[in-house]
Amino acid sequence: MIPARRNKTLSNLFARYMRYRMNKAFNRIVVTPFTPKPGHSVLLLCNHFSWWDGFFGNYLAYWTMKRHLYIMMQHDHLEKRMLFNLFGGFSIERGNREMLKSLWYAADLLNDLENLVVVFPQGELISNHTAHVSVEKGIERLIKHIKGPCQIVYCATLIDYFESLKPSAFIHLFDCGVANEVPFDELVANIDKFHAQALQDQINVEH
Amino acid sequence: MIKPQGHWLITPFFNWYIGWIIKRNFQSVNFNKVELHPAKAVLLIANHFSWWDGFLLYYLNKIYFKKTFRIMVLEETMRGVTFFKYLGAFSVTKNSRQVVESLQYAAELLSDPDNLVVIFPQGKLYSNFVESVNFEKGLFKITEMATADFQYLFAAAFTENFDQKKPSVNIGFKVVQSGALSVDDLQKAYQQHYDKTKQRQTQLVV
Repeated sequence: MIPARRNKTLSNLFARYMRYRMNKAFNRIVVTPFTPKPGHSVLLLCNHFSWWDGFFGNYLAYWTMKRHLYIMMQHDHLEKRMLFNLFGGFSIERGNREMLKSLWYAADLLNDLENLVVVFPQGELISNHTAHVSVEKGIERLIKHIKGPCQIVYCATLIDYFESLKPSAFIHLFDCGVANEVPFDELVANIDKFHAQALQDQINVEH
Repeated sequence: MIKPQGHWLITPFFNWYIGWIIKRNFQSVNFNKVELHPAKAVLLIANHFSWWDGFLLYYLNKIYFKKTFRIMVLEETMRGVTFFKYLGAFSVTKNSRQVVESLQYAAELLSDPDNLVVIFPQGKLYSNFVESVNFEKGLFKITEMATADFQYLFAAAFTENFDQKKPSVNIGFKVVQSGALSVDDLQKAYQQHYDKTKQRQTQLVV
């Protein structure tokens, strides 16, 4: 497992650069109004459908949640892009003993109220049009290990075009409650429900 | 109503330009190859979720179907984008008496087997995530007015990124002969095709 070597100055610079890149690539980035609970760290569970997802997470951490970003990445992906290690990337290897270490590392990060950890609970790239979001078992272990107060947020990002030649990203955020207060099965069911809600809201979104 | 016309410079320019901007803005355009009846005109019914829809179909017609491209566009859009008439667009005004003229014109186009007429039955832009595609009445009128036999070409388009910066667009086509489908079943048949294409899309893996 590769732990994060987050450098604040470089991360701040990178976040600004990526915001510029995203504003160039997308027509609009619309985030539903959301205020994180004060005095809580944030576990951000995102749907994983594109190259951009990690940067959406970064964008949310900086400009919506106002927390320090840490992000769970696949081991081989991080190895190829070690620069992300400086911006809060840490690795996880699936089906390996080291996996538990990574999950616990993520949980420990969440004991600091200033932190935010992005995890893709689907564990792989899934179509943006999928109706159901699966949550891998590892998330349960992660959440059980969190000791400090931590808010769990589900983030569904949907890409739509409408009147523009550039795509727009619509980011729907849902509060899934505080860690260890909601049973895991209920959390999984809620996430699936929230995703269906996001798809419904997307149809009626203003454009 | 505004009718389509050719232009010695503008038409060939956009013929090339549309292909160029599509290649620049999309990772890939994927579609399933379907066999068209050569002696019948085509009525292409597609979902409308972006400005690209018309361009993408124009491009696919150029590289694959190779018919005369005709597309129904709202009159206010055509007044704003004046070059559309050189790309095979004809106008329609909603909620006006002139609508009959446009529908009649579309129906007439279907008697020439060289034509491919595109209609977005939703009548305006909707999200790419809609579950059902609603048909406005105009489309049914066109099929009633058409005298010759033609074929429906259903198109359902969805975008997807996966591990790429640029999105790809996947278009599912399906041909149905007009004789084999009553007007009442048209929306249902399209919906079935739309659901199936979406289902296939959600099962894609990288």
